[in-house]
Amino acid sequence: MERITFAGTLDALDGIRRVVKAQAEEAGLARKPTYNLLLAVDEIATNIITHGYEENNLSGPVDLLTDCSNECFTVVLEDEAPAFDPLHHQLPTDELFARPLEERPIGGMGIHLTIKGVDKFSYEYLGGRNRNIFCMNVPELPPAP
Amino acid sequence: MTATTSTVEDITVVTAEGSIDSKTAGEFERTALTAIQGQREVIIDLTQVDFLSSAGLRVLLVVYRQLKAKNGQVVLVGTSEDIKDVMSDTGFLSFFSTVDTLAQGLALLQAK
Repeated sequence: MERITFAGTLDALDGIRRVVKAQAEEAGLARKPTYNLLLAVDEIATNIITHGYEENNLSGPVDLLTDCSNECFTVVLEDEAPAFDPLHHQLPTDELFARPLEERPIGGMGIHLTIKGVDKFSYEYLGGRNRNIFCMNVPELPPAP
Repeated sequence: MTATTSTVEDITVVTAEGSIDSKTAGEFERTALTAIQGQREVIIDLTQVDFLSSAGLRVLLVVYRQLKAKNGQVVLVGTSEDIKDVMSDTGFLSFFSTVDTLAQGLALLQAK
């Protein structure tokens, strides 16, 4: 996998999205799944930086890894903040999204958009690092003539 | 991301350009909240916005609430299909009027 290390600050978000976008397009992802993947990666990277590092008065890296194989384009975000599994948090329910905007709690949308937007999202804690893994199905290439 | 305010035919217009993420949403929010002071209606022009994360949705939510409290309205102009889909998925879309062009947005508010 190709690895790029970003400093874990909000300034990194733009660069992370640029790399993911370029690689996703190279992998043959269409516009819509590419946007959904960018959104998912941005939401999780934001959580890592703000909740994982800044709120704990920590600083550290966000590593971006990409790989395209087995009909899947995979993006991994790795960080050294305290262990945090986004899937273990209470996910917003359909009931919440049906409420009028006046009554909405602010927050909780990011993880919803992440899970909804990618074909597979998983989390693991390995070697002192959080690993958030995003997989997108890559369209099959037409058979060679 | 840049966010600017103008007044077109007596209607307040906030125009954003670029990507609205957690880094830039604060500036978008400051510009929008300053612009709507004393107003009941606002047009937010997103024609040049290519990316809007949940941080940007939160700003739209705050603007919506402030104007709704005054029985006002938020009109979004030029929202991309990708952003519209995300707004639809989070139940946001139905609370905003969306039109394709600034002229349509002005006509909508002036017709009231």
